[in-house]
Parts: sequence; C-alpha cells; structure tokens
Amino acid sequence: MAEHAPMRLEPEARRGKPLLYIMAALAAGAVILTALSPYASLGWRIALAALVMTVLLSYTLPAFGKYLRKRIFWYTATFFVALALNFFLPRLIPGNPVDIILQDLMMGITDVSRATALKNQYIAQLGLDKSLVEQFFIYTGNLFKGELGMSLYLAQPVAKVLASKIPWSVAIMMPAILVGWLVGNMLGAQAAYKKGVYDKVIFPLSLFLSSIPSFIFSMLMLLWLGVSWNWFPVLGGFDAQIINKQSLVYYRSLVAHWALPFISQTLIIIGGQAIGMRSMALYELNADYVLFAKLQGIRDRKITRYVFRNAVLPQVSGLALSLGGMVAGSTLIEIVFSYPGLGQQLMMAIRNVDYPLISGCTLVISITMLVANLLIDIVYGLIDPRVRSAQTEES
Amino acid sequence: MAEPILSVRDLKTYYRTRLKENVYAVDGVSFDLHDGHVLGIAGESGCGKSTLSLSLMGFYFPPLHYGSGSIVLNGTDIMTLPYETLRRDFLGKQIAYIPQAAMNALNPTRRISRYVVDVLSEHDIGTTEKQMLALAEEKLTFLGLPPRVLNAYPGELSGGMKQRTVIALATLLNPTVLIADEPTSALDVSSQKVVMAMLHRMLKQGLVKSMIFITHELPLLRHVADEIAVMYAGEFVEVGPATDVIFSPIHPYSHALMGSIIVPEEGMKARSLSSIPGAPPNLKNVPPGCRFAERCAYVVPECRMPDPVLAAMMEEHQYRCRFDEQELRGKYALEVPAHV
Repeated sequence: MAEHAPMRLEPEARRGKPLLYIMAALAAGAVILTALSPYASLGWRIALAALVMTVLLSYTLPAFGKYLRKRIFWYTATFFVALALNFFLPRLIPGNPVDIILQDLMMGITDVSRATALKNQYIAQLGLDKSLVEQFFIYTGNLFKGELGMSLYLAQPVAKVLASKIPWSVAIMMPAILVGWLVGNMLGAQAAYKKGVYDKVIFPLSLFLSSIPSFIFSMLMLLWLGVSWNWFPVLGGFDAQIINKQSLVYYRSLVAHWALPFISQTLIIIGGQAIGMRSMALYELNADYVLFAKLQGIRDRKITRYVFRNAVLPQVSGLALSLGGMVAGSTLIEIVFSYPGLGQQLMMAIRNVDYPLISGCTLVISITMLVANLLIDIVYGLIDPRVRSAQTEES
Repeated sequence: MAEPILSVRDLKTYYRTRLKENVYAVDGVSFDLHDGHVLGIAGESGCGKSTLSLSLMGFYFPPLHYGSGSIVLNGTDIMTLPYETLRRDFLGKQIAYIPQAAMNALNPTRRISRYVVDVLSEHDIGTTEKQMLALAEEKLTFLGLPPRVLNAYPGELSGGMKQRTVIALATLLNPTVLIADEPTSALDVSSQKVVMAMLHRMLKQGLVKSMIFITHELPLLRHVADEIAVMYAGEFVEVGPATDVIFSPIHPYSHALMGSIIVPEEGMKARSLSSIPGAPPNLKNVPPGCRFAERCAYVVPECRMPDPVLAAMMEEHQYRCRFDEQELRGKYALEVPAHV
C-alpha cells in the first residue's frame, strides 16, 4: 500500500491540524452533551454527542470523517452482536434462577402441586415463561429506555448494583494499568537497549510474570505477603468492623485492602508490557533507518529517540486496549482477594443464574471495550503518520 | 598517476558470532579510487560485498569488528580517528552511503524536513533551520524531485521517489566518496534508469567526487564503472578496467562468472548459460591456498598450497591466481564452447 501511495496535496489551511479539529469537535460534543435535558437517558445523550462529533468531523476533515463514519458503523454493528450474545449466553447456562430464589422458601413445602404453582407464579412474574426471542426484544426495548432490569437474586436494580461495584474495579485497574504500562515499557526499552546482564534479568522475570496464570500469582502473593508475612489484610475491600465510613481509620483500611490486589495486578501488567516493548525495541533497533542514520553521522542519542518513539506506538494501542478491559480485567484477582468489584459480582451473578445482572455486567464490559477501541482508532492517527495516511486516504 | 582519493590497504574486518568465533567477511582487501572514477564491486551473494561497503565507512558496530588495515581518505587514515571526529567530519559528509534497502532507510514517523535538520545540525552545517531546509530544497530540485517531498513522511512517497530521496539525503553534503550498495536492486527498470542517470549526473557535475558501486548485476556495472573488482569469499580476485574485466576476465572465477550471466549481445541467444558448481567456502574455516580451488575447473594440487597473492598493486589489471594470464587464456581457448 505504502509503495503506491501517491503524494497527497492538501489545501494549505488543513495541513497538519487534525488535532485542532478533533479538539474542536470534542468540545462541541461535550457542550451539547451537557446542554441536553437532564431527563434524557445517558445512552441517548452519548449517542447524540457522538453523532454531533461525527458530523462536525465530516465537515472539517472530509476523508477522516468518512473513515470515522465507517468505524462507527462497524462498532455499532459489533455492539448489537455483543448485545445479543450478552443476552442469550447467560440464558443458555443450565439451571433456573427461580429454583435458586425459592431454595429456602421451598424447604417447608411438601405439597408438590403447591410447590409447582409457586414456581410457575414466579416464572410468570419474572417473564421467563415467554420465548427467549420475545424476552430479547423486551430486554432490548427496556435497554433503550435506560432500564437494565432488576437483579433476580439481590432484588435491586442492576444499574444500582453496577454503579456500586464499578468504582472498586476501576480503583484497582486504572492505577495498575497506568503504573504497569509506564514501568513495563521503561524496563523493556532498557532491556533491549542495554542488553547484557540487564536483559538477562529483566527478560526472564517479565516472561515469568506475564505467563504465570494471574490467579496463581495472586494466590502466591496472598500467601506470602498476606498470610505468611502478614503485611496486608487478605480479604475484602475494607475492614467490615469499622462503622464510621468517614473516619481516617476507614480510609486507611481501604488503602491497606487495596494494596495487595493492586500490586499483584501491576506486576502482571509490567511483565506483559516489558516483553512487548523489548521485542518492539529490538525490532526497531535493527531497522534499516537506524543504520542509514548512523552512517549519516547522526548521534546515537538522537537515533535512540527515533527508535523508542517508533517502538512505543504499538504499546499505545495496547494501553488503550487494557484501559478498555479496565472494568473486567481484574476479575480473577478480585475473586482471589474477595475484593468487592465488578468481576467478583459477575461471578456471583453467574453462580446464582442471575440473568439480568450477568447481562448487565457483560454489557458494561462490552461497551468499555468498544469505546476504547474506537478511541484508539481515532487517536492512533495523531501519533502515527502511517496510520494517518491510511485514515485519510480515499478508498 | 595522481594521488588516489581513497586508498584502502589490506583491510580485514570480521563478524564475531555468539560462539565468539571470528568470521572474516572482508579479508585483506586493497584498492585505490581516483578522482572522478567509479569502482564497481561484483560478486555473488555472501561474498562480502555489503560488509565491505559498511567497513569502508570506518565505523563499526557489533557484530561487525575492525581487524586490521588502513582506509586513507584524502590523506587521512580514518581508522585512526576518534569516533566523534569521524562522525562529525566524515560520516555523511566526506564519505556517504546509500543502503541496500532504501525502502526502509527513512524513519517512518519523521518528516523528511525534520530528518534533514537532524542530519545537518549533527555536522554543524547551517545555523538556522531555514538555511538547512533551503540547502535541502536546492539539492532536491537539482535531482529533479519536487520540494514538497520535504514536507512528506516517507510512507507518502512512492518506491522510486523514496529511493531518489534517500540518494538526495545521502549526498546532501557533496561527499568525496559515495558508496552505493545495490541502490537499484529493489527497483523496476524505469526507476533503475532514473536512479542511474541521477548518480551519473552527480558525478559529472562534481557533486560527488568518486563512487563505489556494489552490485550483483554485472551488465549494470559495464555502464557505470571505470574499474571493476570481482570479489570472492572476502577477497578481491580480480581488479581491472571495466571493459577488460567484463570482456576478457583473467581469473577463473571472473571467467566463470561472466559466463553465467546474460549479456544482451549478438550470439547470446544461441548460448546456454553455464553456472558455477558448488558453493563458496565457509568463511569460518577458510581452506589454505586459493579460496576458489574447490570450484575451479582448472585446479591443480598446488592451488591448495598457501595463498596465491594478488599481482603487484602497480599493475592496472590484477588477479589472484597462480597461473599467469597467458596460461589461463590458453585454457579458456580450449574450453568447449557452451553452444546449445
């Protein structure tokens, strides 16, 4: 493709300013988003803001707008596929939520016909007697009204459950991803550049961290740092004995409970990022342009800058992808540390065959993934001219 | 004869393998390059052509290492210079290099103009960016490239254009010696022609004083080179005026090599192409005596005795064989012509 790409001749005014236009479009979108009626559901507001931004971009950067429209179309299509899977897959799990809800109630009932009647009544009340397809349309309809339904087991609105769980997961994952990405990339770059002993220590260590199953690694952390050395509390998100949720003691217990899952997750991310960065940097260090620049008398310091700028590009998309997995990425770790995040909630929902809650959790995960991917599609063009020309090429 | 611009004596460079073995890819190369001349270096894959071109820059990085020998450029032995002097005053300035794979020779995420500034500022040329870019623009225009190339990223240029841009960048500072390592091997014939015309023009206008042109395409050398060196297993086996080497090679290897290529000439159609049997020796473990002995049609037991040396450097046409020219010509005359 690059071989045959002709020189692009852009009008002077538009050259080199995509960032400006994107910023303007984002700002306009944000203004409209906040100006909208507070009663409109969040989903509609986001959709409308996205529409406004797309239109603005199509006007200011026609080729890029076209690229963006294409991407958005495909992401929307993907969203609906994900929506269907989110709905149907949990309902294919063997078992029945009503059985679980009625487990305790049924204990005293010996009359089989009464038990069946009670069960059927629940099934009818929950709408589970309708066909799956019919249920799907009801679910989708409610979703567009901003309704995620009620959790069958917790008897609370799914939206409320999600809202209370997501901050816990984000609190672990967001800092872990950012710190892990930064440290991992620095270590990987150093290993590739310095080689020798440095590489011989960092590389195997990173390989170990990134390939050991995260639940095994976090169990080991739990065993050593938590149980054997007793440095950290081993269970939950805070000390349940503290009643005053405003006290300093409570915040300290929050941090203490947060530390171990955070450290485990960060180390795992460092391992993966360091390996990726090391191999990218090695590849770039051997690129032909490095040789040419060296033989043109360019100083090593400057060439190293070229190399690491180019090597970090794929890592940036890796960063965006892991940010997309932010709400769900820590599932296994949350389960090991009994941390009250979304991941743990998802597992409990699956155990209880709690259809609306499972679908709600997976929906949030799908949406964050898609949004992260869309954002990286847009942002990547700003940092890599090769992608930019692919984005703006008429096709 | 006038003082040569570049004089290389007994240059030996080697690759250090992971097992700490030294593989001499350039093993005792000597030649002189005169003002306005083009030296063509020919040879099959793996004979050390590209290693030689890198070695001539006087700048080594692992796994390539400097063994011994001298590279005297305009009276200065560049092998004795500290790196910083070599980098600032020679690399890219007096001695320039066009890489084999020009397609990827430019940083894909840097505009050409930024790269120009990087190169020129490393040699303390021009005080402002504007001056530097003016110099580059002048060069590009001279080479028939539109100035808008400066504002482009490498990915936005077509293959031929990228190659010409690389040549323009390599010769920004009018180098004394330009080393071109198969600059046309990745191009289609029309781009090849443009590139060759460009190199020729630079030489004629004195923008480049002399050139070393490395290729495996012998017919190409016939048109550009004044002298040709035939390389085999890290050594020059024959050096001489271009037409002599191509049309009446003396060394058995050159003879066999010329017999195995298509030259668009009368009678060519009727000939069958011969190929040289066997493969070049493993440079890790070079046999004593003539390196071509294993594959030579005229080998005698003495060939495997210690090294036949290249004839005296003063002679115009040199070759590395224990037989003299008359003997070899006699053998070639007896050869069964390879008619179909």
